[in-house]
Amino acid sequence: MKRRRPRPAPRRRTTGPWTEAHVHRLFWRAGFGARPDEAAEWAKRGRAATLRWVLEGGPQGAALVGPAPSADGKPLDPVNEWAHDGLWWLDRMVRSQRPLVEKMTLFWHDHFATNDQDTPLMLRQNRTLRRHALGSFPKLLRALTLDPAMQLFLSLPNSDKDAPNENFARELMELFTLGVGYTERDIREAARALTGFRARWTDDGFGGIYYDRERHDRGFKRIFGQRGRFDWRDVLRLVVDHPRHAPFLTTKLWEFFVAGPPSRATVRRLSAVYRASGHRIEPVVAEILDHPALYRSLDAPDMVKSPIVFVAGSLRTNGLPVSAQSLTWLLDGMGQRPFDPPSVAGWDWGPAWMSSNSMRTRFDWGNRLIEDDLLGVKTGSTQPPASPAEALEQALAATGRPWISGVTRSHLLEMATRFFDDLGPRTRPQRRSERADMLQRSLRLILLAGPDAQLH
Amino acid sequence: MSACDDFRQTTEAERRRWLTRRQVLARGVGAGLAVYAAQAMPFARILEAAQAQAQAAPNAPVLVSVFLPGGLDLLSALPPLGHYGRYADLRGGVKVEAPPPLGATGLGIHPALTEGVNGGVKGLHDAGKVGWLPGIDYANPDLSHFHSRHFWETGLITHADAPGWLGRWLDRHGSADNPLQGLSVSHGLSPVMRSGRAPVAAVSSPNDARMWVRDVWGPAYDRAIDTWGRIASASPGAPGPSSAYTAARLAKEVGDRLAPYRREKGRDPLAPAVEYPDDNELGGRLSRMAALIAQPLGIRVATVEAGGDFDTHDNQPDDLARDLAEVSRALAAFQADLEARGIADRVLTLVWSEFGRRPEANDSRGTDHGAGGIAWVQGTRARAGVHSDYPSLTSFDRDDNLRVTVDFRSVYASLLESWMGTGADEVIPSSKAFRRLALVA
Repeated sequence: MKRRRPRPAPRRRTTGPWTEAHVHRLFWRAGFGARPDEAAEWAKRGRAATLRWVLEGGPQGAALVGPAPSADGKPLDPVNEWAHDGLWWLDRMVRSQRPLVEKMTLFWHDHFATNDQDTPLMLRQNRTLRRHALGSFPKLLRALTLDPAMQLFLSLPNSDKDAPNENFARELMELFTLGVGYTERDIREAARALTGFRARWTDDGFGGIYYDRERHDRGFKRIFGQRGRFDWRDVLRLVVDHPRHAPFLTTKLWEFFVAGPPSRATVRRLSAVYRASGHRIEPVVAEILDHPALYRSLDAPDMVKSPIVFVAGSLRTNGLPVSAQSLTWLLDGMGQRPFDPPSVAGWDWGPAWMSSNSMRTRFDWGNRLIEDDLLGVKTGSTQPPASPAEALEQALAATGRPWISGVTRSHLLEMATRFFDDLGPRTRPQRRSERADMLQRSLRLILLAGPDAQLH
Repeated sequence: MSACDDFRQTTEAERRRWLTRRQVLARGVGAGLAVYAAQAMPFARILEAAQAQAQAAPNAPVLVSVFLPGGLDLLSALPPLGHYGRYADLRGGVKVEAPPPLGATGLGIHPALTEGVNGGVKGLHDAGKVGWLPGIDYANPDLSHFHSRHFWETGLITHADAPGWLGRWLDRHGSADNPLQGLSVSHGLSPVMRSGRAPVAAVSSPNDARMWVRDVWGPAYDRAIDTWGRIASASPGAPGPSSAYTAARLAKEVGDRLAPYRREKGRDPLAPAVEYPDDNELGGRLSRMAALIAQPLGIRVATVEAGGDFDTHDNQPDDLARDLAEVSRALAAFQADLEARGIADRVLTLVWSEFGRRPEANDSRGTDHGAGGIAWVQGTRARAGVHSDYPSLTSFDRDDNLRVTVDFRSVYASLLESWMGTGADEVIPSSKAFRRLALVA
């Protein structure tokens, strides 16, 4: 029986003026933030041109623009140097002219979370995720099913017809494509259909994945009520054609970009777009990025930046390169080290990022950024400000003009107003200047790492 | 292909993972205290609650979990002196030479475990403070670090995400508002301690949890931190912003709370009561743990992880001697510290690792992942002796691994009942399936 689907809602687009605040919101959600000059430029060019650049890129393609990355003075060596893989990817987030591609690669890294595999395999998987980031989901799913890091992580090569391993089959349905709408029997039968892969092992270690028909279970299987001599290709087709798949994936995509769950009408709409496009990802993302809900409460950002987005964004919006290995430890302390999701289920996003410990580590990152060769001030370089507003303006200009709430602004102005209170009238000018340095450092730290800076 | 080959493939990555944590600790990055509270709560109440909990039950028992990552080798930790010939055949060049006998148990002990104050872990045994659990594991052992660790951490044989077994105990028996009741002395929270509802904490360095601003001090610093607190006191309604402001507030309040423990002018309020070994990560963590348990903070369960790597696929004799010596020195000092502080009778320590190693050595002077590992319970209240059967060296399981002689959930259930004084079923489902062991004297 063919399932009747309610008619999808019509497309909803943003309307009204296109301001710098819109650009900031879009660039943070679809990437890693905008520099003030970028925000001004794209606000001028308008909504359609901005969305086109975000979705399709400009003449520079995916070029990396800006100062080259390093790790404590040395060039990055992602394959051989510990943790350079994460720095290498972080650099792409900081400099790529296709930030949405990097953001979606991060989305898929979380979605198809893999860890504990050798670096070359993880980097290979990362390239695969990037190549398919906005393309066809079935192609992406096929590539990940054949991906060595994924295969080894979820025991696919250990699964043969005599002892099918359900690890991959279960995650395929639970985490990768459906969420709900299948039975334990579907998993067992799919595991049988997925048998046949083997890993080649040599004296040098892992030598690749191959398919061994002798290990494949060629019998009949029954999956989602259909019967056949299914193999792995059939399983991938069956899960993508399952009625729960489109709502599952489009809801997850929505929640990556927008705070709060989508309405049922929105899910129907996005699912229809997804199916009509032949299960392509880009049209769904395009709808979400143009949806009025993305631009809700522009004056009060309501999503928590993930640690990677927070760190990459503070570098990108300030034109700073990845430059220190310590970034890796800081990201670890914040709870999101690239290439190291906690389990196959990926990271917990949203408010779960925030604990006093992770906040304390984000604060440490702010302290790193206000080193005087980065965004800080050298001792003795600051004149006492003519007014609190001038001090705040100077700090904002030095930190890429991050968003702060009106209340935070008033607390910062209050701080600037009273910062010199304890200095008597006969305080030496040098001491006043030192105090002015400290005011700049304090303002900049709070702008870069305070609670407002955690939101986008 | 065996599961073991699979994980040999990941060994290097595993090592890097541990290296990460060690480096994080060494650098003191993000030092501080984490409060994982399911619900936001006024911080003053947390502190009052800690004091109240501590005062209400000043002698409440404390359970400490010490994790030795990588899979500690039973046959090296406690070599079977009674079957030394067979043991030497299996282990060849990897065997422990002339292990000192462990009293009248018929077992020997790795010489490195005699290192440390009062004769190290062997000294604790000789003083009747150790209960050994050779052959510990679970049925159909999974030789993946990741999987096996997850089972031990949660007390559940499941691949599903779940809170840790001590976190679940706190959910049931802990306070609703004292995060210090469950303490991980580490950079992040131990999965053992992760709870569903109960607030729990991670402290890596209580001496420097105070917030700081680069090159800002004196009245300027006070003004900056005060401003941070004011900004963080906003309470926006939406969940995302609310979580950010709450975390910012807690980070400051926790820094304030731990300020009394700041090392200042050569005075360390958390100084150990006995001398700890130098350059010993586990010792450093245990020293802070003992100092914090002695404070009126209401700590009930605490976790720590050793700095070594017991995944001895190669170069086992040297690596294991080094890492076991670190453990022995640290644990011996910790026990002496607890005794010197007069709190030893209310602290029991469980030392564990995620699995054992194969009886037969491999070709690279090491041993691969195996079943039937080793754990022990130590403390003045631990019942001394060997509480499980030593696995046979002639009859292995179908994968040529040691046969499991005691399920780790037997130990958990027994400790919950006889040490914490609560039911086991609430934490270990169907705990009846696991026989109880007399572990507490």
